[in-house]
Amino acid sequence: MNYHIVVCVKQVPVSNNLKIDPVTKNVIRGTEAGVMNPFDKNALEAALKLKERYGGKVTLLSMGPKNFEITLRGGLAMGSDEAILLSSRSFGGADTLATGYVLSEAIKKLGDVNLVLFGRQSIDADTGQVGPIVAEFLGWPQITYVNKITPLTDGFIKATRLMENMEQSIEAKLPVVLTVRSELNNPRYPTPRNIQLSYQKKITIWDEKDINADLNRIGIKGSPTVVRKVWTPEKHEKKTINLNSDPNQAVLEILEVLRAKNIL
Amino acid sequence: MNNEIWIYAETHNNLVMPITYQLITKAKEITNNKKIVVILFEGLNDNLEDLIKEYGPDEIMIYKNDFIKKSGDRVIATLLSELVLLRKPNSFLFGATVLGRSISARLQAKLNTGLTADCLDLSFEDDLLIQTKPSYGDNIMCEIICPNHYPQMATVRPNIFVAKKDLNKIPLITKITNLKIKEDKNIKVYEEKPLLSKGDSISNANRVIAVGRGAYNQKNLPLIEELALKLGAKIGVTRPLTDLHPFSVDDQIGQSGNTISPRLLINLGVHGAVQFTSGILKSELIISINNNPKAPIFDYSDYSFIGDAHDFIKALLNIFQ
Repeated sequence: MNYHIVVCVKQVPVSNNLKIDPVTKNVIRGTEAGVMNPFDKNALEAALKLKERYGGKVTLLSMGPKNFEITLRGGLAMGSDEAILLSSRSFGGADTLATGYVLSEAIKKLGDVNLVLFGRQSIDADTGQVGPIVAEFLGWPQITYVNKITPLTDGFIKATRLMENMEQSIEAKLPVVLTVRSELNNPRYPTPRNIQLSYQKKITIWDEKDINADLNRIGIKGSPTVVRKVWTPEKHEKKTINLNSDPNQAVLEILEVLRAKNIL
Repeated sequence: MNNEIWIYAETHNNLVMPITYQLITKAKEITNNKKIVVILFEGLNDNLEDLIKEYGPDEIMIYKNDFIKKSGDRVIATLLSELVLLRKPNSFLFGATVLGRSISARLQAKLNTGLTADCLDLSFEDDLLIQTKPSYGDNIMCEIICPNHYPQMATVRPNIFVAKKDLNKIPLITKITNLKIKEDKNIKVYEEKPLLSKGDSISNANRVIAVGRGAYNQKNLPLIEELALKLGAKIGVTRPLTDLHPFSVDDQIGQSGNTISPRLLINLGVHGAVQFTSGILKSELIISINNNPKAPIFDYSDYSFIGDAHDFIKALLNIFQ
């Protein structure tokens, strides 16, 4: 069984101190450094392991501005074979639906893909929606929040899905979309040799014409949701009282407070 | 469009997930004259509507089929989309759980509408659903609307709203018979294993001891367990500890874990990443012990002890001897 695995990755800001554009209400990108979304690294690690064992090819796919190349370069250095960046002004301002549409059209264009992996969610927008949306647009089954993958023969894959209070064992026929949890594996670090090799690998840029996108389904136009207001919640900085540095005194002070407040 | 708010009843192992009740109560508060309809898929011999009706929605629509439990997300999303197209609700709410997030997003793509993830608040302006969601690790709040597409869909974070029973309202029970389930031959859920539950969840606990990397070691663990027993507290952990024995994701406090609201929270060796602190904001009294005086956890704390967690635990245990 030869795999062509697409790993969808997102670049997220390093820091949580962000600037918001007062007009578009979007986060101003390009002003701060970006890194690969941590859960996407788990997806990439899973893809590389499958490739090492069963053969095949790993393609990274991302949508975003040109400076996302740095994240794709990092993924190539981990061992991916190639990378595609969906980049165009007209993709900007996309919500999860428009993003899922663009990614799914790119996967359709690739044609021979039989496994698509996502991280369970991005750590900036935190929706976890794009994986299932892509699965739906491709018409494929999905297994989300995967913490274990066991490939089977004859084109099936077995995975366990970790939920709040139970674990489901699921078998699916390829092609399938998986979204993975951090419990699945520990992502590798790029070796110096792989970093060197990554500069010989190609990052292909596709825009809306390359994927024959329906212009009504991309960017702001293709996004049903509108961000009406953005604000920073009041910081919960409390007036903190320092306890005595002697632990035996400190616990006596605490005990008094707990009794006064009727907590103990 | 119909003047209805729909709620997907999430059930596992013949239990209704508490978020379902929380959503009913919240919807009743903001209803703005809309009918509250719960959509319940259950096995032929199940009667989970008996539990749901105590919370007083206007209607419970039930579809009984033993096959659903073995089906993947796609089958559930397909059934829901057929129902939506029949009755065209104003809005459709799900829990921001693994299942809720997974099927709602598929449904969103089927219906070509908007879906807002992990909402912390909801309200109506006439027929427009105002959805408040956090972003960037709860550092930014966004108000999101979906003005031109229906239904307006949202997943809502569990344990933000408190469920209240309403026995005065007797809901209409409707059985759905006009749906035809098509088997998804490409996927099969063949086993469901309940995870070992450690009794009551930390999300409802009155007293919680949170353990972070700075306090996790074999010397401290038995002492922490003893302290929890003495205080009648539950033990929760930060995300890095969920992979370490004896903890699991069930015990995790924070944005991707449990939101807690205890009267007393003691943080032992917890650094205070936003991912963690966003889950503790509703605690009444927070005491933090950390040997790093600059640890961000202190910004969220009422009392701080700068020093070794081990010494503090021993001193506290001494008092209770």
